[in-house]
Amino acid sequence: MKIETTLAGSYPKLPTEPGDVNLRVAKNRRDQGKATDQDVLEAVRETTRRMLKIQERAGVDIPVDGSAAWDDAQTYVARGIGGFQIEGLIRYLDTNTYYRQPAIAGRIEWVRPVTVEDWKLAQSMSERPVKAFLPGPYSLYRFSRDRHYKAPAEALADLGRALGREAQALEEAGARWIHFEEPWLGKAKSQDAALVKAALEPLLTGRKARTVVHVPFGAPIAVWDSLGELPWSVIGLDLREAPEGWDLIPRVPKGRTVALGLIEARNTRLEDAADVAREVARARALRSDLEYQLCTTASLEYLPADKAEAKVARLAEAARIASRNGG
Amino acid sequence: MPRGLWTTTVGSFPKPPRLEKARQQHARGELKAEELEAMEREETVEVIRRQERIGLDIVVDGELYRGDMTTYFAERMPGFAISNPVRSYGNRYYRKPIAVGPIRRKKPLTVDWWKFAQSQTSKPVKGMLTGPYTMMDWSFNEHYPSREAMAMDLAEAINEEALALQEAGAKFIQIDEPAVSVRPEELPLAVKALARAAQGLKAKTITHICYGDFDVIYPALLDLPVDQIDLEMANSRYDLLERFRVHPFTKEIGYGVLDVHSHRIETKEEIKEGLRKGLEVLRPEQIYVDPDCGLKTRTVDEAFAKLEVMVEAVREIRAEKGIDV
Repeated sequence: MKIETTLAGSYPKLPTEPGDVNLRVAKNRRDQGKATDQDVLEAVRETTRRMLKIQERAGVDIPVDGSAAWDDAQTYVARGIGGFQIEGLIRYLDTNTYYRQPAIAGRIEWVRPVTVEDWKLAQSMSERPVKAFLPGPYSLYRFSRDRHYKAPAEALADLGRALGREAQALEEAGARWIHFEEPWLGKAKSQDAALVKAALEPLLTGRKARTVVHVPFGAPIAVWDSLGELPWSVIGLDLREAPEGWDLIPRVPKGRTVALGLIEARNTRLEDAADVAREVARARALRSDLEYQLCTTASLEYLPADKAEAKVARLAEAARIASRNGG
Repeated sequence: MPRGLWTTTVGSFPKPPRLEKARQQHARGELKAEELEAMEREETVEVIRRQERIGLDIVVDGELYRGDMTTYFAERMPGFAISNPVRSYGNRYYRKPIAVGPIRRKKPLTVDWWKFAQSQTSKPVKGMLTGPYTMMDWSFNEHYPSREAMAMDLAEAINEEALALQEAGAKFIQIDEPAVSVRPEELPLAVKALARAAQGLKAKTITHICYGDFDVIYPALLDLPVDQIDLEMANSRYDLLERFRVHPFTKEIGYGVLDVHSHRIETKEEIKEGLRKGLEVLRPEQIYVDPDCGLKTRTVDEAFAKLEVMVEAVREIRAEKGIDV
């Protein structure tokens, strides 16, 4: 049985080859008044093309657009949703990366498509189905300050609806895969189960695209009973940072897919492809009736570009071995 | 009359354009190391002069000879390799250390620069180090079997450097640990590593922390074995003070009043208001006033304009509250 491969999240923006378009340089030149916004947009376009080419060359089945235009997953989307304003710089969980914190200052409402044009651009550059990428509502809420709502459940339901409307716009544009990044599900407590449901139910219900709920940096054990009932297609697990995620595989509902996050996106040490393939076999031994994808644990943008490219190649190699062994 | 509200900075200053250009030329092999260092010394003297002119009580060397706060040390310690650039936020990148073997301190890392800076001024110059937990957390690890093993090797190396700074005469030694605020479950490891790094020090010890989830780590943060904890206050709109009302802040505090990620120059009134709020829950002798973090991301003009307003605001609050230096 073939193991499909995919990435979780964004990709390093810098080129590895001298002479390639460099988005960092383009932005610096714009800041110095030597380049225009249009020049930066062109650099985003070429960077997206390069990110897709790297994935295509390695043989990744479901590529991502790499989020070249984004500073981070929170502010890019929150800026486009009514009710949010953007505030001070804050660290992104336990990484050494930062984001400007969204603050909820009014009723959360979807106003217009935020990510659709980026997705369409990426899809126009690839023969493969490009996976759209959105922050999950539960995590986006946890990453934000709430100065408006009296009850988190109310805010989460509005946020779930707003992101659901964005997902609908992506579907209408043709997206077949939509990834929701939910790192905070791994930190949620059992008493948060109702909030998780309030956030994700309006988002996932009635989707035509296949939906991925990916949980980097943790395992959603405490809220699994609630999460398992929701109509997602794929659950993405970070099995390096949170090996306890293995315990969830026997509890995955029938007919779903598990994205096995076995390629570490936060360390440069390169995995052995045969070892990773053996871990895929371990998952199959736990539940032979499920489908599996092989993916990175988190966004590869935590790595330098050369190491990320090596990880993508290793991901595809491990999947080939796993597919051969399981076929 | 109580004493307090001493003014200082967190450590880094922006590199003047001519120095940025020189560093790029050096990286391309177009400028000799000694030529670059001569320029770094000239600019360090200028940074010290400007701190003196503004009237800061405790000065720093400005770290104009350093790149990233972890990479500078990693480049000088066997056991580390350096990665290609990784993004930290927006359009900012840094080269991240990779642990590829046992990490050791084979030679002084900062002592010569500290001696040079101190020779330029009669004001105390802080010794500035990056802490072992942060060095570990902000590096890739291809060698050590555990995070603790790596942090403790780093702690030993940093302790050697801290003792060398003390031996050279440093009265203030700052061991920055900005990473400790995000993994509350590892706070005991951070405390253990910092205790090892600060072992045997009689100088005043300081650690700087920023951008964390203080709901989770406060008041356990007060276990950090240093005399002073330096915190960003302005960036979080002084929200931390509410926590101090519940659990009193028992150490000295580096009290950040300048948002270092904003181009805007704070008004004197807003800084004074921040100080007045602080004095409701802290004693003057606990407080060292400074920016939220290092100033290296600002322009030179912005950095000094912010500091001038800060020092002026402190002078007026001292007069208003009857606080002596």
